[in-house]
Amino acid sequence: MKTRSVIVSLAVLCLSAPVLADDDCDDPVTDWQPREHLRQKLEAEGWTIYRIKVDDGCYEVKGLAPEGFGAEASFAPATLELMELEREDDDEDEEDDEDEDNGEYGYRDNRGDGQARDKAQTNRPVPHNGIVKGRPTVTVE
Amino acid sequence: MKKILLALGLALSVALPALAQAREVTFTTELTDYRGDGAYLALYLTDASGAYQGTLWVAGRKSKYYKHLRGWARGSRLDPAEYDGLTGASITSGRTLKITLDLDDALIDSGYEVRVDTAVEDMRDNRADVAVPLTTGGAGTPVPGRGYVRSFRYDF
Repeated sequence: MKTRSVIVSLAVLCLSAPVLADDDCDDPVTDWQPREHLRQKLEAEGWTIYRIKVDDGCYEVKGLAPEGFGAEASFAPATLELMELEREDDDEDEEDDEDEDNGEYGYRDNRGDGQARDKAQTNRPVPHNGIVKGRPTVTVE
Repeated sequence: MKKILLALGLALSVALPALAQAREVTFTTELTDYRGDGAYLALYLTDASGAYQGTLWVAGRKSKYYKHLRGWARGSRLDPAEYDGLTGASITSGRTLKITLDLDDALIDSGYEVRVDTAVEDMRDNRADVAVPLTTGGAGTPVPGRGYVRSFRYDF
């Protein structure tokens, strides 16, 4: 009886694992193509590649799209299918660009550009979650 | 004249309680030298049982990474209305983030906790890196974190 319970539990665990996984891509690692294949494919399509890394189970590419805009794109590592494409030179992506300017997660305000920081704080929308009243003041030392 | 006085009285009766109920609180979060990319942080309030009550600040611009701030992500359901106007850049290793904001007085000494979730790319996620009660007695007292937070304090 115990053995049966263990087997059933293990089966449930195995079945639920893919459901619980929160990776954006879920290609089996054995099916992954080398990232060099993706580089060659994209360069043939007119991309300029800055870097390719693995993020949440996808290949994440940073570079210039054939149309000439800066882009960050995710590709399924087995099929090399495009999963997500973000433009990085739009005004609305300005916030993301702040991260990119100083590495993936850098903090531009740290470089002492007080005016940029003040502007960013003034432009920030007023929070409306019912907990915080007014715009917070933020500094990084 | 009477009308002006009446209007003034009404305006004051609305404005004064609002002013009296808000308190300026500064949250100071110092990170360790964890030697990694910029850290994503979520500062938020929970009740005494740990149930999410509201977002105070999220450091890190890319919402696709917010799921790694696991406790906050679960509580807020990643609803943008919860964090609109409350986001900024991620914080790099060894730096100190100071947030000053107005909080309802009723949230202080009422069993609420401040929590900080942290995450760094290719490193572990820390749910409740910091969890401290929001009390008058606890103000000004630094507490250590369990992950990338070296110390955390709040001041009124």
